[in-house]
Amino acid sequence: MIDTYKRLMNVEPPPPAKKPRGFFTDTSLCIGCKACEVACKQWNRLPADGFAMTGNSYDNTGSLGATTWRHVQFIEQAKANSSRQDQRWLMMSDVCKHCANAACLEACPTGALIRTEYDTVYVQQDICNGCGFCVPACPFGVIDRAPKHGQFEPGTAHKCTLCYDRLKDDMTPACAKSCPTASIQFGDVEELQQRARRRLAELKARGETKAELYGMPEGKEAAEVGPLHAFFLLLDRPQTYNLPELPRLPRKTMAQRYGWSAAVGVGFALVGALVFGRRR
Amino acid sequence: MSRGYYDYPVVRRPVWTWEVPAYFWLGGMAAGAYVTASLAQTFGSPDDRRAAAGGYYVAAAALVPCAPLLIADLGRPDRFHHMLRIFKPLSPMNLGAWTLTGFTPIAFARAASHAAGTGLLRGPLGALSRLVPTRLAELAGCVLGLTLAGYSGVLLAATNIPLWAKSKLLGGLFMASALASGSAAVTLQAARRGAPDTTLHRLAMLESAASAGEIAVLAGYLVQSGRTARPLTRGRFAAPFWLGAVGAGAVVPFVLHRLAARRRGRALQSLSTVAGLCTIAGSLALRWSIFEAGKISSEDQGASFELSSD
Repeated sequence: MIDTYKRLMNVEPPPPAKKPRGFFTDTSLCIGCKACEVACKQWNRLPADGFAMTGNSYDNTGSLGATTWRHVQFIEQAKANSSRQDQRWLMMSDVCKHCANAACLEACPTGALIRTEYDTVYVQQDICNGCGFCVPACPFGVIDRAPKHGQFEPGTAHKCTLCYDRLKDDMTPACAKSCPTASIQFGDVEELQQRARRRLAELKARGETKAELYGMPEGKEAAEVGPLHAFFLLLDRPQTYNLPELPRLPRKTMAQRYGWSAAVGVGFALVGALVFGRRR
Repeated sequence: MSRGYYDYPVVRRPVWTWEVPAYFWLGGMAAGAYVTASLAQTFGSPDDRRAAAGGYYVAAAALVPCAPLLIADLGRPDRFHHMLRIFKPLSPMNLGAWTLTGFTPIAFARAASHAAGTGLLRGPLGALSRLVPTRLAELAGCVLGLTLAGYSGVLLAATNIPLWAKSKLLGGLFMASALASGSAAVTLQAARRGAPDTTLHRLAMLESAASAGEIAVLAGYLVQSGRTARPLTRGRFAAPFWLGAVGAGAVVPFVLHRLAARRRGRALQSLSTVAGLCTIAGSLALRWSIFEAGKISSEDQGASFELSSD
């Protein structure tokens, strides 16, 4: 019967699963050239966001959004009267984390957000009806809805696709391809994780005591959202890069919230039964 | 100095507009009216049943703008039916779409059946409406109605917006507000049509219980939210929240209903009417102020860090 339904409804079988693919973004190598931002915009034909100046270092991109899928942060750590050694300029190319337990995907009511055969999170543009629930669900502030009356894919949700179209042709995503310092590395997630552990050990040995990995299976940040398939090597605490210490998965708290809601409803029904049922 | 990246927000600002709180308000009121009317049908005296059955009209009328409001808020309104291409109760948005789809025809059928019973609806449509199994419609409608009243706060809470997500009680708060406004709407039409004093007293008792419950849940919500609730309790939304949602929505009607308990006739009807109007207005103020203050909360980097570091 299910087969008949699938035939009638024209349900395609999903493509066979591939090895999980992802990004390892090693911020210790980032030079802030923004080639990733440009390559991403060009390949994915994302419109420019205007020429607003933020006044915050060289970051005039501001944040990820519907038409910005890579965002290079510039963190200037220079205290007054500090020695040169204490002064640092941290750069980091932020991107969708392609969480193993993705809040956006769980929130999506239409099934537009799916997990691909590469274990990445992808918005099907022909399905999304722009309900906007994925936007506040994401703990990292990644996904956004394009303006309803704009030029670019109006009214639907957008974020990094990990260049799904390029993966289909065994090509490297545009940002990783264009990165001149291999700060953005693309590959099989497991292999990238091994590489990241080695790189962290190397940096620690060189005296980068504050270096840490963010989004690894063993990390505490993976407790709810799971390992991030786009993970990072950071040179300071996650919050320095606006990354939450413990990114929340809304599903984890939902049962409790429904429970209180139901308790109020049942309480009202009981009071009603008592009030109306009382004999005069 | 901020701990994060400049003072940039951690999460994105919700893109929803006024249609969403308006829908939460009307959908909640419809559900509350339906449940109140059904409680009266099941447990009440013949007087109660007659007076409260108007609640089915209220429910049907309040549901009329609900689906259009929800559709208007979509980025792609032409694809509204994609909500129903899968059944995914894990997503409160999907659950809500299915619940509204199920509740709306039941509420209309029950209202039509009442209209046919009173002779308001005649002819073939009346004959058809008489076939509606009222008991079944009441039971199914109450289950779906309570789901409709209860999911909206959980939907907002199932995000990473600090003001919405921090407390466990937003779902319960919206449920209480929905039931208070729904029973108030039933009282309004009952008082206007001159229902007997006993029935009005009973409705007043039910409503004051709902208001008292709402005050309790609201207090719990504010305590649990702590400093996160500042965008709601201070600044632009302080007036609509404290005067509208708390004052007009819960405290004033509670006091008026206590006063009404000892009154009869016209005085009782007037007090019930004023209390009902206050509750309904306050219910809108509650949804709107929490909804809009959530947008401010989304920009609060510190609150986001606090939410994601427990």
